[in-house]
Amino acid sequence: MSDSSNSSTAAASSSSTYMLVPILLLFLLLIIAVLRSPNLISSAGIGSAVIVLTPLALATFSLMVLAMAGRGTVDLSVGPLMGFINVTLVVLSGSGALESPVAFFLYAAAVGVIYQLIVALIIIYVRVQPIIVALSGYLALSGINLVILPRPGGTAPEWMSSWGLGTTIFSPILLILVLATALWLIFTSTAFYGHLRLMGSDERAAYTSGVRITIVRLGAHIISGLFAALAALTYTALIGSGDPTQGTTYTLISVTALVLGGTSLSGGRGGVIGSLMGAVNLFLIGYVLATFNFGAVQGFVTDLAYGVILVLSLLLTVAIPWLQRRIPNISPTIVFVVLSIAFAGVILHAKYDYSQLAVEVINKTQVIEAPTSIPKDSLSDDASNAVATSTSSDQVARVTSSVDSQIEIPSVPDLTDKTEIAQSTAAGSLVMQDAIRENPVTKIVSTDFFFENKTYFGEADSALAKPIALGLLWAIVLLIVARATVLQTRLQKFSPRMIYIVFAALVVSIFMAWDNSVLPNAVKQPQASSKEAS
Amino acid sequence: MIKENFPATIYTKLSSLQWVGLLVAIVIAGLGFIFGLLQKVVLQQLIFYTVATFALVIWIWNAYVAPHAKFGQDQSEGSPSGFAIARDFAYRNKVLLISLLIILGIFLIASATVNEFFNWVNIVTFLVLCALLVFTVQVSQLFVDNRSAFIGLMVLVTMFTIGSIFIEGFSSGQNIKSMLLFASFLGLACVGQTMVALLGGLDLSIPFVIGASNVFLLYMIGLGVYPWVAILIILLLGAFIGWLNGILSFRLQGQALILTLGVGFAVSGLTQIVTSIGSAFAGNVFGVVPEWLKNLAAMNGTTFGLQIPPVILIWAVVAIVLIYGLKNTVYGRFLYALGGNRTSAGRLSISERRYWVIAYMVSGTSAALTGVLLLGWSGGGFIGVGQPYLFMTLAAVVMGGTSLLGGQGGYGFTVIGVLVLQVLTSFLVGMGLKFEWQQFIFGLLILPMVALYARSPHIRTQI
Repeated sequence: MSDSSNSSTAAASSSSTYMLVPILLLFLLLIIAVLRSPNLISSAGIGSAVIVLTPLALATFSLMVLAMAGRGTVDLSVGPLMGFINVTLVVLSGSGALESPVAFFLYAAAVGVIYQLIVALIIIYVRVQPIIVALSGYLALSGINLVILPRPGGTAPEWMSSWGLGTTIFSPILLILVLATALWLIFTSTAFYGHLRLMGSDERAAYTSGVRITIVRLGAHIISGLFAALAALTYTALIGSGDPTQGTTYTLISVTALVLGGTSLSGGRGGVIGSLMGAVNLFLIGYVLATFNFGAVQGFVTDLAYGVILVLSLLLTVAIPWLQRRIPNISPTIVFVVLSIAFAGVILHAKYDYSQLAVEVINKTQVIEAPTSIPKDSLSDDASNAVATSTSSDQVARVTSSVDSQIEIPSVPDLTDKTEIAQSTAAGSLVMQDAIRENPVTKIVSTDFFFENKTYFGEADSALAKPIALGLLWAIVLLIVARATVLQTRLQKFSPRMIYIVFAALVVSIFMAWDNSVLPNAVKQPQASSKEAS
Repeated sequence: MIKENFPATIYTKLSSLQWVGLLVAIVIAGLGFIFGLLQKVVLQQLIFYTVATFALVIWIWNAYVAPHAKFGQDQSEGSPSGFAIARDFAYRNKVLLISLLIILGIFLIASATVNEFFNWVNIVTFLVLCALLVFTVQVSQLFVDNRSAFIGLMVLVTMFTIGSIFIEGFSSGQNIKSMLLFASFLGLACVGQTMVALLGGLDLSIPFVIGASNVFLLYMIGLGVYPWVAILIILLLGAFIGWLNGILSFRLQGQALILTLGVGFAVSGLTQIVTSIGSAFAGNVFGVVPEWLKNLAAMNGTTFGLQIPPVILIWAVVAIVLIYGLKNTVYGRFLYALGGNRTSAGRLSISERRYWVIAYMVSGTSAALTGVLLLGWSGGGFIGVGQPYLFMTLAAVVMGGTSLLGGQGGYGFTVIGVLVLQVLTSFLVGMGLKFEWQQFIFGLLILPMVALYARSPHIRTQI
C-alpha cells in the first residue's frame, strides 16, 4: 500500500481510510445488536462481552504485529500457542509450582516471547517462509498440547476465578486489554514503529535505507509473543481451566478478526484500534446471530455469516481507493464520531423503558375499554410498587417478559405513537411521579450502568450519573472533533497522546461518578423491582 | 563445485592412501560382522550389511579423505596449511557436517539415556541415515534445476528404508497399497493447491469444499438423484466455487489466503443449512452410497479385475496429465510465465485474470472430486472430512518444493511431497505413536525438510 512512511499524525487523517470498513461494520452491528437485545448495554452485558472479547482481541493484536512486519506473515500458530500457555499454566499451578500472579504473568510472557524468538530466528537465519514456520508451529504445538493435557481439565488458580465472571465492566481483564492497547499506542510514537512499517511495506527499501531489519523483525516477534501471552492469560481466566483443543480454534477466528480490522496481510498497514474493532465485530456477529433463533442450524448460519462478512469486508477494501478519489480528505475519525453520536441515540432509544410505556398503554386501554375494571386513581393510592398493580400484574409480567426476550414486541415503535402515548398519559405519569416522590423507595443497591437509570433523567433528586456521563461523552466528542480538525488542516502539531490521557481521565471519572456513595439521593425505580420480581 | 576438488593426479600420487582406506574398511566391516555374529543376526542380512558397510566406508574414504589428505605436499610447497584446508573443507560442507553432528549427537544421547537403544538395528539405521545424508547433499549439488525434487525423493527413500527396518510389514504390498490409497486422496486435493501456488496464490477453501461436496452428494443421492448426475452436479458446483474464489480474489491477491477461507466458511455453512432443511437430524445426512462409488475408493476395490483401488489409478492418470500438461501445453507454460513475472507475461498479452480464475476453478473441481471419492471411501457423509486437508495440502505442496511465491515447482514435486507426508504418517502410525505425538513430530519435521531446499535468498541478493 502507499501509506508506507507517513508520520503517525498524518496517517490519522488521510491514509487510514481503510479504517472506514471496520468502523461502518462496527456501528452497523452495534445498532443491530442493541436493537435486538438491549441487555448488551448494561453492566453485566458489557462486562461479559469484554471477558469473551479480550482473548480474541489480544490474539488479533499478536497477529497484527507480525502481519505488519511483512513477508506475508500470518502466524497460524497463535491459537496453539495460547493453548500451550493455558495448558502448562494450569498443569503447573495444579502441581503447585506456580502460585502468585506475578509468577503467572512472568511465566506466560516468557513462554510467548521465547517461542516467538525461536520462530523469528528461524525466519531470519534459516530463511524459510514465515507461513511454513507458522504451520510447523501450529502442528507441533497442537500436538504437544494434547500430550500435556489429554482432555480438558484442571482449574485456574484461586485468585483468577473472579476474573471470568463478567458481572461488572471494570475487571482485571479490561485493565489488561486497555493496558495492552495503550502500550501499543505509545509504541507507535517510537522510531522502531516507523521502521516496522517501512520493513513491512517494502523490506528491500528498508534494508537499503539502513534499517536493521533483523533487529526490527526480532522486536516484532517479541511484541507479538507478549500479546499472545496476555491473550493466553485472559483466555485461561475466561474458561477457568485447561483446554488443549479450544485454544487452537482461536487461530482462524483471530485471522478473521485481523482482516475485519483492516490490517493488510501484505504488510505495513495495521493498527491496534482496527484490530480491536475487528475483534469486536467478530464478537458482535456471533452476538447478533445468537439473538435470532435458528434452532439446530445455528452453528451453520454462524459459519455462513462469518464467511460472507469476511468476503464482503475484503471486497470493500477494494473499493476504498475509489472512495478516496470521490471523497477527498475523508476522515475515519469524523466518521467514527458521527456514527457514535448516532449510536448513542440508538442506545437511548433502545434502552427507553418500554415496559413502563407498555403498562401505560395497557392502563389506557383498560380505562377506555373496561373502565369499570380499575379506576385510574388507584394508581396514586397504591403507594409502594406503584406500577405493579395487582389487577394488571399478569399483563405487566407478560409485557416485561416479552421485552426481555426481545422477539415479539417491535422494538422501534412509531414515533407518532410514542408522542401520542406521551401526551395521553402525561397526567398518569405525573401521578406516578408524585407517588414515587412521596414514597422514597429503597436506594440503589446494585451498581447498574448509567443508562439504566434513565427514567429519572432531568429530575432534581435523580441519579447524577447520566448527566455527568452525557456531559463527558460530549466533551470527548468535542475533543476528538477538535483533534481531527487540527489534523486535517495541519495548522499545528497536536499530540495524539493528549487525547488518550484525557480519555483515560474521563473513563476514570465516569467510574468514580457512579460509585454508590456519590449518588446519595438515588432512587430505585419501582419498574425494575417489579421486573425482577416477575 | 565439488568436481573441481577431484584432481586426477591425487589418485596416482597417493595410491598408498587407498590401501590404507581399504584396510580401514575391512576392519570396520569385520567388526560389524563379528558383532552381528555375536548378536545372532540372520546370516543373509549379516552379509548384506557387512558388504554395505564396507562399500560405504570405501566410498567415503575415497571421496573425502583421499582428496584432502595432501598435507605433506602442500606444506612443502608453502601453500595453505592443513588447518586452512580443513577449515576450507568444513566451510564448504558445513550443512553436511552440522547435520551429521546433530544426528550423531541425537544417537549418542539416545544411546546413553534410553535402555536397549544401542542395538544392531539402530546402528544400521544410523549408518543408513548418515550415508543417505552424505549422498543426498553431495549429489544434490550437481543438480541445478530440480534439486528439491531430488532431495524429496531421497527423503522418501530414507524414510521408506527406515520404516522397513523398524516396522514389520511396512514394505508389504498391502501397506504400500493403503499408503497409496490415502496418498491419492491427498494428491487429488493438492492438484488445485499446486496450480494456485504456481500463480502465487493460496486456496484454503479446499477442506471446506471437500466436506461440503461429501455431504451434499449424499444428500442428493438421498433425494433420489442418479448418482452419476449428482456427481456431475457436484463437480460443476465445485468449479463454480472455484470460479467465485478466483473472481473475488483476483483483485485481492495478497489476501487470497483469507478470502478463500471466508468463501470456505460460507460454502460449508450454506451446505449444512441446505441439507438440514426439513431434516430432524441437523448436520447429519443419510443415504446409500452406490456400490460402484464404494469400489472406486475402497481399500479392496478392483480395477478391471486387478486388486488395485481405482482411485490410485485415477490419481496416477491425473498426475501424468498434469505433469505433462504443465510442461508442454500453452496453458501450462503461460501459468509458469505468469507466476514468474506478471509484467512480462502481461507484455505477451497473457490474460492474468483468465489464468488466475481457471487455476482456482481447477482447485474447486479437484477438491469436489476428492470429496466425492472420500464419500465412496467412508460410505457416510461428514462435513469435517476435509479438515485434515486444511494444512496438509499446503504442507505437501511446500514440501515438494513448489514455491508459494509462484513460478517454480510443478505437480511432479507435489506428488513427491504427498508421498513423503504419507510415508511419514504411516511410519509414525506404525511406530505405535498416538495422534498427538504424530502431529508434534510432523510439525517439527516439516521445518527441516522445507529448510533443505525451499530457503529464500538473503535480502541483500534481492536488491
